[in-house]
Amino acid sequence: MDYLEIIDRSDSGEYISEENWDLEKVAMTCMRLVSQYDLKWDRQNLVPDDPALADRVFAAGLALAVEIGAYNRSSERILRFERDELESALRDMKQTLSMGQGADERVLFARQIEDSRPPLVWAGNPGAPHPEALFLPAVVSWAQEPIVDLITCGTLAEVDGREVRTGEALEITATRRELTYLHQALAHVGRPGMGMLAAQSSVSELGDLAAANPDYLRTCDAHLVPMLNELKIDNRNIARAVNSIEYGMRNGGLYCAISGGLGGDAPGCALISVASMILGLLTNRADYHILHPIHIRHVATSTREVLWVESVVLQAFARNAPAIIVTDVYPKSGALTRELLYETAANALAITVSGGHLEGCGSADGLVPHATGLEPRLMGEVGHAACRQGVTRAQANQWILQLMEKYEHVFRMPEGNPGARFDQAYDLETLQPLPEWTRMYEEVKTELKEMGLDLSG
Amino acid sequence: MNDVIITAIQQTLIEGNVETAETAARAALEAGVDAQTILNEGLMRGADIVGQQFEAGEVFLPQLMFTARALKAAMAIITPELKRLSAESGISSSKGRVVLATIQSDIHDIGKNIVSTMLTTGGFEVIDLGVDVPIKRIISTALDEGADIIGCSAMLTTSMPFMSDLIKTLEAMGQRERFKVMIGGASVTPAYAERIGADGTAANAVQALQLARQFMQNALA
Ligand code: B12
Repeated sequence: MDYLEIIDRSDSGEYISEENWDLEKVAMTCMRLVSQYDLKWDRQNLVPDDPALADRVFAAGLALAVEIGAYNRSSERILRFERDELESALRDMKQTLSMGQGADERVLFARQIEDSRPPLVWAGNPGAPHPEALFLPAVVSWAQEPIVDLITCGTLAEVDGREVRTGEALEITATRRELTYLHQALAHVGRPGMGMLAAQSSVSELGDLAAANPDYLRTCDAHLVPMLNELKIDNRNIARAVNSIEYGMRNGGLYCAISGGLGGDAPGCALISVASMILGLLTNRADYHILHPIHIRHVATSTREVLWVESVVLQAFARNAPAIIVTDVYPKSGALTRELLYETAANALAITVSGGHLEGCGSADGLVPHATGLEPRLMGEVGHAACRQGVTRAQANQWILQLMEKYEHVFRMPEGNPGARFDQAYDLETLQPLPEWTRMYEEVKTELKEMGLDLSG
Repeated sequence: MNDVIITAIQQTLIEGNVETAETAARAALEAGVDAQTILNEGLMRGADIVGQQFEAGEVFLPQLMFTARALKAAMAIITPELKRLSAESGISSSKGRVVLATIQSDIHDIGKNIVSTMLTTGGFEVIDLGVDVPIKRIISTALDEGADIIGCSAMLTTSMPFMSDLIKTLEAMGQRERFKVMIGGASVTPAYAERIGADGTAANAVQALQLARQFMQNALA
């Protein structure tokens, strides 16, 4: 089904107000399906080894997609799909996707549960606003890490000292400048062909249009096409998707279902995530999936709810419709805190053994430039070690619970745990972590080794 | 007797059931319960309980939204009576009117929607304009509707300047004093709110409701 069909259905579907979509369609249907498919979660078992549960989550998610479809917020119409249309989209789903070019090309693939093939490591803090002076050094800090396969970045909130406003002229400047810095960073670390998920400074279509040019986003790169909460799309995001189809670039379908939101608790969030990813193949024209569930209060992916959702959704797809799923790591804590490293390790374990690729870290909720290259290094090391060592889901769960004891208090801190800005954690001359940050990293690694994770490789 | 009726009203809000909320409000009026009592002791109390449960993570967003819906439905039943009472006494029963929007260029609305629901369950009349709302439209709606408060949500650093523009435009129009302006969103800090001349900000929906109540109390004082 091509995008023209999506445009047609956006105009011809049944009308419904947004409030009724949210309550009558999404909330009511989720409530019923969660109980019908007996979807339950256990706060002590965040990486469940329960194939039947994973299959029920998938079946319920597909049932939700078939039953209610998606909503176009611009036209206030429902886009309905027949079961066989969704199933055929699932069958046609890409199993491999090449990103980047030349010696730096990497191939994303559909991972399996407890797969021995390591996840790809996609480094950066997608969307976090940066002052211009910090942007390039921050990106270099992760691009230079040998374990990193692909990169992403924050946004430029100012250019030449002027504030950038969405939808105005400087959005174009900011988006192009962001990409110029990215290419400079890749050249600097000698990996010019590395694939990227970028044009993050493009909030409206302006930036996207300006960046669809080989000097900026190449066709071997990707950008985001988000689904709106819950199960919604709008014409502007369809336009973004179409722009990259016409240009020949990759669309990353982004799904941020909320735990504690319209679907209810974690099981409802899992159900909506599955439905979003199925529908996103058609509505968002997704070439691969970015799974980023959020917690209604704490946002972070290192909360119990979100760890469980990420794990169970990855397993649901791995068993029923193998897919390329890049899974976000957005810890609560920021640079120069031990908790950031514990959160990252817990998240990386859950994702790796459940069948995902790793993307992050959106440290400090992705709100501030408090991310560095050190935490994606650890994220990758933990992911690689888990594969090398053949860590099981049960083992991963046990370690995650141990790690939670060391970081869960951050969710009770009224101001969060934002840590320090990039330039307080890294030396801007050498672009290496400052001794205190290195020391924390070494100490946490020792703790992880003592726990039993083989980080020697 | 009144206690039983009032408890029943609270219960319909806790359940978030439109039909039973309407029936209970009607029955209460017929039984001669004062509309102001139905509002304050029944509806508002019931909604408050759900608001607190939501804040504590005991119930989820849909429950809060169903409660808001049931509240609106029951309010429609008792409003004529409330209006009559306030005409008699000269005291308005409205808790205040808020025009709420996610500011121009920003489409994040999860937080804004929760604030909207919480203000509704708190008895405010909320005119929710949705997302990506041009500042001109926010201002003209606030003027047309005689709003007490303008509430703006922005999650993007690159959308926040439009909130500053809104306040400057109100000033330029000579209308700044007519409204309290509250702003919010994950990147909005009290310092930022102060810098752009907003009247306040809140980190979550419960605090947003408190802030709005505070504005209204100060206005009465
Ligand atoms: C979910 C989400 C999305 C969803 C939004 C879906 C939707 N319908 O809202 C999607 C995927 C679509 C999305 C898109 C984008 N997003 Co986004 N998103 C988030 C995320 C993960 C969670 C936000 C959220 O809903 N939190 C939960 C709610 C309950 O909390 P809240 O919004 O803070 O609201 C509470 C308070 O702030 C307060 N409040 C809120 N509003 C108001 C108003 C008033 C008056 C008051 C008093 C209080 C108040 O009360 C609320 C309830 O407690 C944040 C991360 C974060 N740290 O917040 C990023 C984030 C906000 N997004 C970000 C970005 C960059 C984007 C994109 C530009 C990405 C891109 N390049 O395309 C686009 C923007 C498109 C656009 N035009 O707006 C950045 C913004 C950085 C910045 N400061 O500029 C963030 C911080 C994270 C990140 N690094 O990516 N996003």
